[in-house]
Amino acid sequence: MVSSLVVGGTLGEILESLTAASLVGEPIVLAYGQAAAKAEEIASRGVKVFRLNGEHPDLIFKAAKKLFEELKPKVIIGHSTKNNRDALSRLAGLYDLAMATDVVKIEPGDDHIIYERGFLSERAIAREKASYPAIVLINQKVFEPYSAQGQGEIVDIDVGTPDVQIVEIKKKQLSGINLEEAEIIVGVGRGFKKKEDLKLAFELAELLGAQVGASRPIAADYKWLPEDAWIGISGKRVAPKLYIAIGISGAPQHMAGVNNSKIIVAINKDKSAPIFKQADYGVVADLYQFVPVLIKKLKERKEK
Amino acid sequence: MGDIVVLVKPALNPDMLRSKPDGTVDIVGIPLKFDDIDANAIEAAKELKKNLGGKIIAVLLLPWGPTAKRSKDLRMVTQEALARGADEAIVIADDTLLPGDQVITANVIAETIKKHVPNASLILVAEASIDQTTGQIGGRIAAKLGYPYISYARSIKAEGDKIVVERDVEDRIEIMEARLPAVVSVTQEINEPRPPTLLQIRRAGKKPQHKLSASDLGITVERKKEPLEYRILTVSRKQIIIEGDTLEEIAEKLIEALEKEGVLSI
Ligand SMILES: Cc1cc2nc3c(=O)[nH]c(=O)nc-3n(C[C@H](O)[C@H](O)[C@H](O)COP(=O)(O)OP(=O)(O)OC[C@H]3O[C@@H](n4cnc5c(N)ncnc54)[C@H](O)[C@@H]3O)c2cc1C
Repeated sequence: MVSSLVVGGTLGEILESLTAASLVGEPIVLAYGQAAAKAEEIASRGVKVFRLNGEHPDLIFKAAKKLFEELKPKVIIGHSTKNNRDALSRLAGLYDLAMATDVVKIEPGDDHIIYERGFLSERAIAREKASYPAIVLINQKVFEPYSAQGQGEIVDIDVGTPDVQIVEIKKKQLSGINLEEAEIIVGVGRGFKKKEDLKLAFELAELLGAQVGASRPIAADYKWLPEDAWIGISGKRVAPKLYIAIGISGAPQHMAGVNNSKIIVAINKDKSAPIFKQADYGVVADLYQFVPVLIKKLKERKEK
Repeated sequence: MGDIVVLVKPALNPDMLRSKPDGTVDIVGIPLKFDDIDANAIEAAKELKKNLGGKIIAVLLLPWGPTAKRSKDLRMVTQEALARGADEAIVIADDTLLPGDQVITANVIAETIKKHVPNASLILVAEASIDQTTGQIGGRIAAKLGYPYISYARSIKAEGDKIVVERDVEDRIEIMEARLPAVVSVTQEINEPRPPTLLQIRRAGKKPQHKLSASDLGITVERKKEPLEYRILTVSRKQIIIEGDTLEEIAEKLIEALEKEGVLSI
């Protein structure tokens, strides 16, 4: 009997979600978007794959609803992506299901699932118990990719047309950097007064062999950096050995993305900025004065 | 067109965390505040009202109790919603609905809209709240009302009985078109909310407020989940402020410290 439904838009999401889902019981998969093109690879893990053409949230909702009604899984599992939150919150609303997001741990039981998730902008962890059926959206990299072998069936799923029309899609200009793998990250925030000034951060990053990341306003609002530089609860979650936050105040939504760093350095001119309480080393100084000096000293060191 | 509904959450303020001696969160000790992105939602409503007409109705549900202790915070959040531009507020505070969860919230708000703002043209909600940050209330309400749902709006334009929305997805922007009535969740990027002026704050006191209870709405609560524990996530950082007479000295000390930590590969 099918006991869990995995919903995802990329191969990576689906393989990690399958590991979580297999803790509940026999999984099936709804693969949309890029993941639909990887249906064979997913099926080779010995699971049945329902392949949905496209990634319109209306269609993901309708497909998930159809599978939920027909197969009655105990749990629906996927990553906490925007499309999953959008589509599955509607299924949750339709059937009054519990729905958890940003989940970092699960303990499935016979008639319920216990999970842990971020709470209070991830300054706390909520441990909760939900009755089946429930929707559980996990964080990335919490579970290993599913590695079982087998031969699953692939079925195309057709759920008609969306209610809302997508009239145009604009691809974002992304840098393609993989912040999740970076060893050292220089994070830039609103302490920088204009885009050109970011060259200070880039110069520092180059010396350190670091990547440049940003707080949400710098990437998503001002667009001074591509949006894949966006770090935080609604952006990338990173885990470098060194994170240097420059002109970043330390809002919990930003820190949620960097708390797994080994060492955090904060450079901020306001000595009462919350980031100093969440950093290992703090420098209270104007970044425009301090960063050039830091660059000079690092260069001297390098030349020695 | 009808009225514009904006959901406003009195949310636990994560910047004023309180803990109990055993390391669990002291929920009752944490004050509530007007949730961050709700300001963007009201600002968007003010802009859209120019085209869509109608009133802006803020709907507030108290999700954290006890009601007796929260009444002052709830009053402040309601005032802020009205000062920021809502024309009226509907406030639901009821001990039988506490602690709130997303199933309860969605049922209460959908019922409130059906019974008290049946002509709503647009329902705006924040992409996520600062306490739960699950971003699921908009989708739940849309499904309950049978309205189209567009999430993560970076812009909304109204044209007749249609809206055109720029929806933010991780690697792209989707331009979506929906007929009204619809539910839309807004991002922080959609606008820059202006803080209310003194005059707006003074006027807010005179705007209508309607209070509702669970029984007024005919809501019976069935819980799908229960909290087991809320634990503070302790980040034990060294919190060393590097001091010195000159910036040179500070920079040297910082480099030394990072070398000792073994995190510099220079
Ligand atoms: C639901 C939700 C989700 C969110 N998701 C994210 C997210 O994923 N990522 C994220 O980053 N944010 C997120 N935010 C936004 C977050 O709350 C903050 O608003 C944001 O992180 C602030 O960015 P900042 O630190 O760059 O800017 P600010 O808070 O404005 O801080 C700027 C800092 O620079 C300092 N400064 C100014 N000038 C100088 C100078 N010359 N030299 C040195 N220091 C200087 C100031 O003292 C200040 O501390 C989210 C918010 C919400 C409500």
